[in-house]
Amino acid sequence: MSKTSLFDKHVELNAKIVDFAGWQMPIQYKNLKNEVTAVRENVGVFDVSHMGEFFIKGEQAIQYVDYMVTNDIASAQMGKAIYSPLCREDGTVIDDLIVYKLKNDFVMICVNAANIEKDFQWFEKHVNKFNVTLTNESDKYSLLAIQGPKTFETLKSVSSTQDINDIDYYSIQMSNEEQTPIIYARTGYTGEDGFEVFGPHDYISKLWDQLIEANVEPCGLGARDVLRLEVCYPLYGNELNDELTPLDAALKWTVKTDKNEFIGKETLSNHKAQYRLIKLIADKGIPREGYKVFDEAQNEIGIVTSGTMSVTLGKGIALARVKKELFNENSSLFIEIRNKKYSAQFTKKAFVSGGHK
Amino acid sequence: MSKIPENLFYTNEHEWVQVEGDIATIGITDFAQSSLGDIVFVELPDVDSDFEKDASFGVVESIKSVSDLYIPVNGVVTEKNDAVEETPESINEDAYSAWLIKVKLSDASQVESLMNAEKYKEFCESN
Repeated sequence: MSKTSLFDKHVELNAKIVDFAGWQMPIQYKNLKNEVTAVRENVGVFDVSHMGEFFIKGEQAIQYVDYMVTNDIASAQMGKAIYSPLCREDGTVIDDLIVYKLKNDFVMICVNAANIEKDFQWFEKHVNKFNVTLTNESDKYSLLAIQGPKTFETLKSVSSTQDINDIDYYSIQMSNEEQTPIIYARTGYTGEDGFEVFGPHDYISKLWDQLIEANVEPCGLGARDVLRLEVCYPLYGNELNDELTPLDAALKWTVKTDKNEFIGKETLSNHKAQYRLIKLIADKGIPREGYKVFDEAQNEIGIVTSGTMSVTLGKGIALARVKKELFNENSSLFIEIRNKKYSAQFTKKAFVSGGHK
Repeated sequence: MSKIPENLFYTNEHEWVQVEGDIATIGITDFAQSSLGDIVFVELPDVDSDFEKDASFGVVESIKSVSDLYIPVNGVVTEKNDAVEETPESINEDAYSAWLIKVKLSDASQVESLMNAEKYKEFCESN
């Protein structure tokens, strides 16, 4: 079991620690509700150092990454972060990740902790066709996500990040480029304004201390999951997996079939989605992963992929994967909870509209 | 340190049982509510439901988890605490006043196999 460089600090803060993807991670500190509210209204910090970082260097860095992933990396502006699925030739999803276009010859990719090995093998398998060097830098990096409307002013107020710029959403700032680059990205997994800061362990450790000192709420993976589900961001392993295509998980917008050659292009250009990912608000009870979804004729039409009590709404919310041919927007829908069916409301908008710019 | 009143019996599923005559009142302990965190949903059985010892009689849910409630005795439900279903957070406030159900015991001797406060305290410390 691995530990992040901040593990002892989490223990000192009395965090509840759980095993997650081979890592001992804080799932919550004092109170999950307070952690969620802090991020929606104020500012919170998450240690997400378990996530993986790959570096791609060389003149074909952008071309290579553009070939590997489904979203359009080549046309994106320099200095931008781009969310994308990583797919096989048959269109199934290996992982979802964020590509950071740092320079013409320098790209960073941040991947899910559980998929680091699988992803790296896939990237390695295709690297020889390009004039690039690919390295897995995950062990050298720690990562903090600072999230919430007061993120920027908080980062400006602490010494480690005082030089941070008021960059746009999904933009990047890099420093210390000659040694171990430190990367600030205005990204996150909560729907709120915020930054993710990638850096060497000693730098991140200092930054963590300064943020805790500045009364930033330490937040665990429990709050992170509630926050991302409230704004309907997918989670690999729940909404996405090795058997689904992005088109089956409401990610059509991330598959750019009109761009240059990329892995999965042919399949995804012709693929008709079998499933639709829908949003449900429960009238009563709390939907959980694996619960069945029924229509008004009592046909089982799908399953809940993620469910929780929304702290912000005070209601049970769910993302559910339903068979496209069986789903009708106008039907009343039901979620089966412990052998009883409870009505749920289909909604097109995210449960919570985060405040990011 | 969690509260463990002297006058109650306890189960290794972290429930408390108070016995008055042939009626047992059942709730979850302070230790249980504290490990669950914010309790946001409680589902209790209907009055007159008949349970065998160790059967699941309901659930408590926190934001991130679902926990079954197990009945430590055979019995028929005589009352359920509707107020707790309405305001699940009352369990976090005081786990010993937020009782869940009352059952009519069909075998009073089953109570003898439950832990007293002292044993339950040791049980919590060893877990």
